[in-house]
Amino acid sequence: MAEDQRPEARADQPPDEQPVDDGSRRKFMLAGAGVLGACVAGVTAAPALSFLTHPLRTATTSGSDAFIPAGKLVQFQAGVPVKVDLYADRVDAWNRMVEVKIGSAWVMKHGDELRAMSTVCPHLGCAIDYDAENAKFVCPCHDSFFSIDGAVQTGPSPRDMDALEVETQGDLVAIRYQRFKQGTERKEPA
Amino acid sequence: MVIDWLEERTALPGLWRRFAEHPVPGGPRLRYVLPAVLVYLFAQQCVLGVLLASHYSPSASDAWASTVYLNDQVESGWFIRGLHHHGLSAMIVAAVAFLVQLAVTREYTRPRELVWISTVGLVVVLMALGVTGNILPWDEQGYWAAQVELGIMEQTPGGEALRTVVQGGAEAGNLTLTRLYTVHAFVLPLVGVALLAGIVVLGRRAQAGEAALEPRRAQPFAAGQLLVDMLAMTLVAIALVVVTVQTHGSELYAPADPTSGFQARPEWYFLFLYKLRMFFEGSLEPVATMVIPGAAITFLVAAPFVDGMAGRVGRMGVLTGLGLMLASIVGLTAISMSSDAANESYLKSMAQADKEAARARGFAKEGVLPEGGPAVYRNDPEYKVRALYKEHCQSCHELDGWGGEEAPAFDDYASRAWLAALVRNPNDKRFFGGTKHDEMEPYPETGENAIPNDQLDAVVEYLWQLSGETGVDETLAAQGKALWDDELDCNNCHELQAGAEGSGPNLLGHGSVAWVARVVRDSSKPDLFGEDAQMPKFGEDKLDDEALAELAAFIVQQREPKE
Repeated sequence: MAEDQRPEARADQPPDEQPVDDGSRRKFMLAGAGVLGACVAGVTAAPALSFLTHPLRTATTSGSDAFIPAGKLVQFQAGVPVKVDLYADRVDAWNRMVEVKIGSAWVMKHGDELRAMSTVCPHLGCAIDYDAENAKFVCPCHDSFFSIDGAVQTGPSPRDMDALEVETQGDLVAIRYQRFKQGTERKEPA
Repeated sequence: MVIDWLEERTALPGLWRRFAEHPVPGGPRLRYVLPAVLVYLFAQQCVLGVLLASHYSPSASDAWASTVYLNDQVESGWFIRGLHHHGLSAMIVAAVAFLVQLAVTREYTRPRELVWISTVGLVVVLMALGVTGNILPWDEQGYWAAQVELGIMEQTPGGEALRTVVQGGAEAGNLTLTRLYTVHAFVLPLVGVALLAGIVVLGRRAQAGEAALEPRRAQPFAAGQLLVDMLAMTLVAIALVVVTVQTHGSELYAPADPTSGFQARPEWYFLFLYKLRMFFEGSLEPVATMVIPGAAITFLVAAPFVDGMAGRVGRMGVLTGLGLMLASIVGLTAISMSSDAANESYLKSMAQADKEAARARGFAKEGVLPEGGPAVYRNDPEYKVRALYKEHCQSCHELDGWGGEEAPAFDDYASRAWLAALVRNPNDKRFFGGTKHDEMEPYPETGENAIPNDQLDAVVEYLWQLSGETGVDETLAAQGKALWDDELDCNNCHELQAGAEGSGPNLLGHGSVAWVARVVRDSSKPDLFGEDAQMPKFGEDKLDDEALAELAAFIVQQREPKE
């Protein structure tokens, strides 16, 4: 297409101004237009990039780092997992929510020790259920089975169920709720 | 290779060639750039609009909060929103300039009538985009502008039904925003694309015809005219960036409040209509809002045909009409701007609105409760402490006309006037009348136990001094102390040494934040109100130290003169 120049288009120019190489002049102008176009596009593209990648640098949601009351100590017995819902204030982008459910945990005693495990499956994040008959934890989405201690037995889960920090406050039980990276062998906070 | 492959399947390279080799009559010209500038601005508006849409939530409860979030918290958000705002203004300027150019050069006649009409349509679409877009943040400006614009709509024949349909119900709310958002983000841009395509494609067709008359002087579009177009776009882009940075984006007011008296003004490109409406009162209003604009648009659409048909007379008539129209638009806009600039009540209310906006946007940084924009004020510390007061104190202690009468009211608490009234009659309902603390004798002006006003003033000044307040009249307070210790024997019941117990409360530092906080924690302490105290104790489990201090400070604040 660049070769298809019309000679007559330049006929009105005096001979001394006749460009030596019409093709290269055109290429030069095209390149100039391209550079300007890129600059003009950059006016939108550059801020767009920082706008859209904002969540990589700044947290857009936040729950509670504090220990959240989960129930009375007497509720929990050895060998009987109880599912508790945890409520806390939460920030979600532009909203601030007071006392909303931020997650849940399986809580039970092992001897005198109190243990809490996240209900989020380490595989792909489905909610882990408890099968009381077989005394096993089951993730219903992809059939991961865990022992009552949370150790992975069969199925695709890459690691044991995620333990949560738990403490007693007088006769109350409190849990620090956290989410962890999914699909990894090591347990790392998300 | 690749080009052939694409050509065979898509014909795209051929299209590019047609685009690039389009003959430009007479070679590259600066006066050919406006359609290209319009295309550039429109494309930029689309991209910016999509970016904004990726962070905006069109519901009455979320619109303001999400707009503030994207503007104030997301990086570059203010710039993107500002560029989108000013970009529309630039498009309107460019479209009107193109209309003027077509009319002055008489290019709007055959064969460019449809280019002209498309441009008129584009101006209308752009103004509609402005109207709908400004409502979306659902701030004071957007909300009140919507009220006015929907009101204008209602004046048309069948307007009530029209308003209900556009508004999505009898009142403005969620459906108003979803509907206007749909119109702004989908419907109008599609119409805009069609009109813009008309301007460019039909314009090029006309150009090709002209080039064919003088083929020797024509040049291909690429790269001469393309470079000129790009230069023009670059200049417009630079100007837009400068304006956006200088104005720090686009204004964003406090959340929509149907009870506020916000003085809404339309965008600059609507001021002429706003001013025009003021010349037509009452039932004549539709003349300004409907009849005149309708007639003007009809005239614009007809202009190229009238000019083409009626010869010299037609040309003069059309040019005079267009000139008058432009002059009155400019004149009305100027009048409107200068009258606002000289209107003190308007300027004052805008300054107030700016202050309110800064306050609300500051609170929004913590996140807005899901109830909606105005819920942002619940992030105000004053609001939070009021909520504490309501929860823990109000059922017994009245304040601002609300609450129980079982315990002293806190209006004006522990001010000089309050103290004087208390000494005169401690058993008044306002003081301890609702409690079991009835041992203190009243000290009326006359009769038994009477004390004259000057003595009362002295005792009150002494009490004021005891509370730790500043601005004490020392001589008067000294007189009060003498009365307190000897003549009135107040010290028989009220101790003033730290920790000392009497039958009445120890009054050292009474009414101070620390004293009030101690009373709230446990008023039955022996140096306070003793065992008879009925007030519940507020331990750490009910109020932590921080909340207690805030609450006590709030109660003490009640004696400060109200604004």
